[in-house]
Amino acid sequence: MVPMVKKNKTGGFASRLLGWRMWVQAAFLLVWLDPAGLRMHTMCSPVFHCYACPLSTFACPIGVIAQFGALHVFPFIAVGLLIAFGALFGTLICGWVCPFGFLQDLAAKVPTPKFDLPKVTGHLRYVVLIVTVLAVPYFFGEGHPLFVCRVCPAGALEAAVPTMAGQAIAGETIIWPSVVKLTILALFLIAIFFIRRPWCRLLCPLGAVFSLFNRVSAFFLRFNADECTHCEQCHKLCEYGIEPEKSPNDLRCIRCLECTKCGPDALNLGSIFERAKGRDVPQNNL
Amino acid sequence: MINKNTKILIFGLMVLLGAALLAYGAFFHSTNVSAQQDGEPVMLAKSESALIKDASVSGVKRDESGKIKQTYEIGEKAPEACST
Repeated sequence: MVPMVKKNKTGGFASRLLGWRMWVQAAFLLVWLDPAGLRMHTMCSPVFHCYACPLSTFACPIGVIAQFGALHVFPFIAVGLLIAFGALFGTLICGWVCPFGFLQDLAAKVPTPKFDLPKVTGHLRYVVLIVTVLAVPYFFGEGHPLFVCRVCPAGALEAAVPTMAGQAIAGETIIWPSVVKLTILALFLIAIFFIRRPWCRLLCPLGAVFSLFNRVSAFFLRFNADECTHCEQCHKLCEYGIEPEKSPNDLRCIRCLECTKCGPDALNLGSIFERAKGRDVPQNNL
Repeated sequence: MINKNTKILIFGLMVLLGAALLAYGAFFHSTNVSAQQDGEPVMLAKSESALIKDASVSGVKRDESGKIKQTYEIGEKAPEACST
């Protein structure tokens, strides 16, 4: 039998909070869904939530970067915010805070067969980031059909659908979004029941940005090689096809921290501000 | 391999860089935007915060000459919905 090891301070706190992850995500909706009607659209949030949604407190950083790209203006606020939050939390934001991730987590609770994705698909997010958020807006402007907001399922679901519903209720002419946008929305709504977090794992440009910080962020997944019994329980616990003991700071990891439930206690949430126990795995094997 | 001290250094630099960009954007950065007031062209220096708000509702566009133009007249209400 493997002796239980006392977790570090951050890891202990995270493991106590783990059973409450969905409640934490739900609590953060009170920040993003603007219950107080503040509409602070002069500032970005660090999450993927369309600013055209009738319920959005802040502007979407990806939308702002794309819109500013179309204007040929550098978005200091959006980029500064992503660097600061990325350095602090990395993809913990995806797993614990993002409302669009929460929506997909809720859909994944429906007992339908779930399909896994090949590892290589995680790199598509960087293509989306470079093409639809940076290159297309800068070179072709916001009118191009591949401009990120024109293909974004979050925009379609959170903004276009409520707007169309509002127009229908008010008896006004309904302004339909493009066929491409509606098709992407339909595919997304089907996919969330059969693939865990399809948007986050395949296409999310914001997740692509935050994942780049996983190796250097203040909070990270710590693997203690001395405690690992190679039982591979963490492989089964990870719902995203990552082998946490081989690459604890994998670019595809959303930091749901499910793998920290492993019996030998070899995986923990760590922070750079506290002393590590035992021998950590080298951080260069992403 | 990244050791702990290097990680702390990179983290510190990243946070400083992020905070500096954020502060510059929020308090010092502005962009010249051409607008119309009673049919007359006027040049406005919009703060980045104001530009974020306008960009989110298609209130500003870049024309073919490279100038950023406000899509509604000064004193008029800004568009309510994003054009995308």
